[in-house]
Amino acid sequence: MPDKTPLIQVKNLDLYFGAFHALKNVSVDFHSGELVGLVGDNGAGKTTLIRVLCGIHKPTSGEVWFDGRQVKEFHPKLAIDNGIETIQQSVGLCDNLSIARNFYLGREPVRRIMGIPFLDMGKMRDLSTKVIREFGLRDNVSADDEVERLSGGERQSVKIGRAVEFKNRVVIMDEPTNHLSVREREHVNELALQLKEQGLLVIYITHDIFQVHKLANRIVIMENGEKIEDALTSSMTADQLEEVIRQGGRKVEKREAV
Amino acid sequence: MNTLARSQSFGALIGVAVMLAVFTAIDFSGWWTRATIANVIHFAAILGFLAMGQALVIMTREIDLSVGSVYGLTGVAFITLTPDLGVTGAVIVALLIALAVGFLQGIAVVKGQLPSMIVTLGGLFTARGIIYVWTGGSVHNFSEDARADWMTRLLGGELFGIEAAILWLLVIGVVLNLMLWATPFGNRLLATGGSEDSAESRGVLTDRVKIITFMLCSVLAGFAGILTLADRPQTHVTLGELLELEAIAAAVIGGCLLTGGRGSLIGAVLGGFIVTSFRYELIALGAPSSWFITFVGIVLIVAVIFNQKLARRLGHSV
Repeated sequence: MPDKTPLIQVKNLDLYFGAFHALKNVSVDFHSGELVGLVGDNGAGKTTLIRVLCGIHKPTSGEVWFDGRQVKEFHPKLAIDNGIETIQQSVGLCDNLSIARNFYLGREPVRRIMGIPFLDMGKMRDLSTKVIREFGLRDNVSADDEVERLSGGERQSVKIGRAVEFKNRVVIMDEPTNHLSVREREHVNELALQLKEQGLLVIYITHDIFQVHKLANRIVIMENGEKIEDALTSSMTADQLEEVIRQGGRKVEKREAV
Repeated sequence: MNTLARSQSFGALIGVAVMLAVFTAIDFSGWWTRATIANVIHFAAILGFLAMGQALVIMTREIDLSVGSVYGLTGVAFITLTPDLGVTGAVIVALLIALAVGFLQGIAVVKGQLPSMIVTLGGLFTARGIIYVWTGGSVHNFSEDARADWMTRLLGGELFGIEAAILWLLVIGVVLNLMLWATPFGNRLLATGGSEDSAESRGVLTDRVKIITFMLCSVLAGFAGILTLADRPQTHVTLGELLELEAIAAAVIGGCLLTGGRGSLIGAVLGGFIVTSFRYELIALGAPSSWFITFVGIVLIVAVIFNQKLARRLGHSV
């Protein structure tokens, strides 16, 4: 069951890109042990919101609280250091580097020789090999291969495998099943559930309400930079939520919580 | 483990082989003499430092046009400051000046979000201007004491019967190669050049990586200037002019892709060897020295075409 104090608390968040009002007075809480589906059409502000949470964008006004402390500085490194792993759609892998080097980018394990930190390539190779085998990458792909060689699905698998491996408190997944085969998709969704069971907060972004309704215990719907719905999946059916998205706001009777 | 990355220097290796074969065929007796080879290797070693620094900057997907001026400024500082600070003191202060130039350029590029081509073009003119003002256009020289100083001999003389510049290039080349391929910093440098957004999303402080790389490039250029003058201690205001073009040509001939993230330090040094050899051989064959720049241009274009084709064949997106 979710804790009482939220792990991440977003209060009255506004974000402008120049004159464009990307997030409008968004307030939402996220608890450990939750799997929250963040749903909305393209341009609804889902990705912008999680880019604030993972430190890429600094909000124009409003507050973000993490684990009882107000976040003052926004930088991806701070988010990662706080245990927030993000799987983003377009970024996260450097084509020119091997899988092993990408896997540990920014947190490379080292062996010190006379005090100088050298990459521990053996360790980097072993763990990333284990993960790419678990994720069913082609047998002829090795951890020393450049990411450039991988297909879209394989790239996604590396990103997800990495986030799961380094999980510590929060895993944010932005459209994690895009480009994936049916089998890979099931695997990813299973992992998301496992992480939740382990007590992590999982934020799962998608525009497929039906898919995420089966996984999530709570759904947050965004539209035009605003939060328009925040409901437990036990209180609303996927059809009802889809209707909310279609109407652009709550005009649907809420089913009593069971 | 880095077979692919290392093969970035493949083109330069072929270039060296072809060049040596041609020179052997057309000018065997002129080329293969002790004096020629020694001279070419000396100047190639000096250019090698600049080329390695340039290669590192290009690998972060930036460029540094100021290295010729920084080479000159550091050299002039070294000679001019020696009477007051002694040789060792002058070396330290001169290298600090080079570091400061790299730092300022790096800050301007990342904090000002300016194209490095413009910032370092500014650096090129600014540093050259300082040379003119500082020297007043006059030529400085070393005293007998300074020439005999242990530091001067360590940098400019011969060590174990080998020219100091060559030994220094070997030592620093090995250190830089280890840094690039075997340390976390190198991994982040390559990542920054390959995809800055992705590197940043993994918590890499790409701004810091770039500033450090600009500082490395400047200090390598400055060190090359000091090595040159420790060997032949005489300054002139045009010291290092157009050297930035030779350094960029050497790095590109050596397999550095201007799209960032891929390159080779060994290739850059070989590229420097090719550029220097052409200069020497053109003069030896009696061509007017001004032809050299034209020739560098042609070699550069051929190298870019060759490296692009090679990269595409290997499946890189360039």
